[in-house]
Amino acid sequence: MKLNTEFMRETFIASLGGIPKTMLITILTLLVSIPIAFAMALSKLENKKVSSKFVTAYVSFIRGTPIVLQILFIYSLLPSTLNHLIKDVLGLSVNVFKMNKIVYAIIVFSLNNIAVLTELFRSALGTVGHGQMEAAMTVGLTKRQAYRRIIIPQALVAALPNLCNTVIGLIKNTSLAFLMAVQEITAISKMKAAAGYYYIEAYLMIALIYIIVCTVVQLLFALIEHQLSAYKKRLAV
Amino acid sequence: MHPFHPSYVFTVLVQLFPYIGVTLLMMLGTVIFGGAIGILLAKAKIKRRIVPRAIAEVYTYLTRCVPSIIMLFIVYYGVPALLLQFGININNFNKGVFVITAFSILFASNLGEVFRAAYLAVDPGQREAAVCSGLSEFQAFYRIILPQAAVHALPNFSNMLVNLMKEGALAYSIGLIDVMGEGNLLIGRNQGSYTLETYLGMAIIYWALTYVIELIFGKLEKNLSKGKKHATSVA
Amino acid sequence: MLFSVKNVSKAFKDNQVLKKVDLEVNKGDVVVILGPSGSGKTTLLRCIDFLEKADGGELDFDDIHTDLSHASAKTIEKVRKKSAFVFQNYNLFANKTALQNVTEGLTIGRKVPKDEAIEIAKKALDKVGLSDKYDSYPVQLSGGQQQRVGIARAIAVNPDIILFDEPTSALDPELVGEVLKIMRELAGEGITMIVVTHEMKFAQDVATKVVFMDGGVVVEEGTPKEIFTNPKEERTREFLMRILPDFNYSI
Repeated sequence: MKLNTEFMRETFIASLGGIPKTMLITILTLLVSIPIAFAMALSKLENKKVSSKFVTAYVSFIRGTPIVLQILFIYSLLPSTLNHLIKDVLGLSVNVFKMNKIVYAIIVFSLNNIAVLTELFRSALGTVGHGQMEAAMTVGLTKRQAYRRIIIPQALVAALPNLCNTVIGLIKNTSLAFLMAVQEITAISKMKAAAGYYYIEAYLMIALIYIIVCTVVQLLFALIEHQLSAYKKRLAV
Repeated sequence: MHPFHPSYVFTVLVQLFPYIGVTLLMMLGTVIFGGAIGILLAKAKIKRRIVPRAIAEVYTYLTRCVPSIIMLFIVYYGVPALLLQFGININNFNKGVFVITAFSILFASNLGEVFRAAYLAVDPGQREAAVCSGLSEFQAFYRIILPQAAVHALPNFSNMLVNLMKEGALAYSIGLIDVMGEGNLLIGRNQGSYTLETYLGMAIIYWALTYVIELIFGKLEKNLSKGKKHATSVA
Repeated sequence: MLFSVKNVSKAFKDNQVLKKVDLEVNKGDVVVILGPSGSGKTTLLRCIDFLEKADGGELDFDDIHTDLSHASAKTIEKVRKKSAFVFQNYNLFANKTALQNVTEGLTIGRKVPKDEAIEIAKKALDKVGLSDKYDSYPVQLSGGQQQRVGIARAIAVNPDIILFDEPTSALDPELVGEVLKIMRELAGEGITMIVVTHEMKFAQDVATKVVFMDGGVVVEEGTPKEIFTNPKEERTREFLMRILPDFNYSI
């Protein structure tokens, strides 16, 4: 089999242009979902009955169904719902159907990611021993202070490896944003591929770009982990 | 907005029910072939011989970064073209072959990690004790280590199965007619009139499958981990 | 009297761990609570500091009077600010250095200015012999050193009373001595303490009062001399016989 290397080079460069959009979706999704997921994890841990039941059902539904289905489902529901909400309820004159498709992508991925992160934060908070909270109470800290100063910093370090996996999962999932007509990495090279019938070349190049993006993300996380986990090292540096 | 017909959700459930078999078959095939590669990967990583280990690590790293849909497309378009060079035409093969191939390549590394973690979770003293009581290495592995490792593997394996099922829904994009594929065909046939109802029905099926998988593995774990329970003590 | 609890009761499900326990502590007292495991002594200590919510009982501590089962958040905070707790497994804040472990309760819990807090914390760490470990994280310290930081964290806030929950039980035998030595020094300085422990020698030498608990009740209390040489209750004798090989008593 002979690969069209010239086409591969072109596709690679063209698809690089999709990286900013992929990263934009990823970062905005994280900014939306991290605080909400954290609040949900806390409400589940502190065992507030009503909210914890809702959280459990939500997390279970999202984690139990394919993301592609969530995308198709919400994408078919969202525009008309938003339209109704904005026009009839809020009385604004925004044309939802002309809104940037990225907004839909961020809503869909946030809804998904909140569920994943809620579980992640819950288990990370669980890794911090109960004794840490007790000790914080006995030295006179309030619960809020104990969370902020003692529990969360430790939970964050425990969460980092899984958080890295989640971010990589999210980036991989954004490859499905083309279903919502967002022009990110996959969408761009799919178009190029279809134009020239060089499918295999195009997809190999997309794979390569995702590998590069994921490598950068993993290096970043390794760096952060190194910075934050100084207290876990047995020998002082 | 289009009126919502809850009763049609039920119709969808009935129509899609037979296609659960396709979804499960796809999972089974992936577990068998991906599992075989996974065992090799796990072995290479545990034995620590430099070349196989490096290959296994690189393989795991690369497949971890590639989105399922891209791997599906690579296999679907790439493998037939590759084999055609050798005069083998597989363009008319069942779509399932491509789906299982793509997911086996991807999930081999996940399965390998499940196996490796489970193996390492068993105390090395178990093997030592087995060998010292006269079992061969092979017997020690099958009779002592494997049963304990299997229990450790269950929660991760269950997780992996659920992920595989969810990612597997992407197979519709190369034309596999499973729950997802038939659901999409249904929407096409209805010319978009029952879209939400159909998606909801599909979601319910996947949600139920997840629930059943987690239930079965939860029960299995409970039954098999009897040797691990501590004697109940009063604080 | 500085401190007393009355009628403390606590059950975990069907298991009645504390059955109307009373305890009185005067200023400068070192009260040692002895008893077999499961006797409820640790639970009593944890109920006093509201780490465990008692089912019933009253607490008098200086000017504070409260019900143990439904104390207000404010009262709990007041009790905790006047007391300190030393844990069996140290519970040092894993993400803080030894010095930060000690300053945390001062700067955050009690609003002491940072510079002043650091001065106090250094003095406390010097006192427990850890002048060279200010910047070490808990994982870098031995068990004995960690527990000494735990004690420094307790004394730094200048509490009216320190509660010790089996402070040496998690330590390797060769490290027990360094912790007990510091506790003896504190007792010598007149710091009020309640100590749950299995260290009989410490109880004999240091305690002003020994309380023997078994099955969720106080079986007997008295001076070390009374308890160790002339226990009145059969259960106390049995316990001492089991735990002290050279224990003799006359019938």
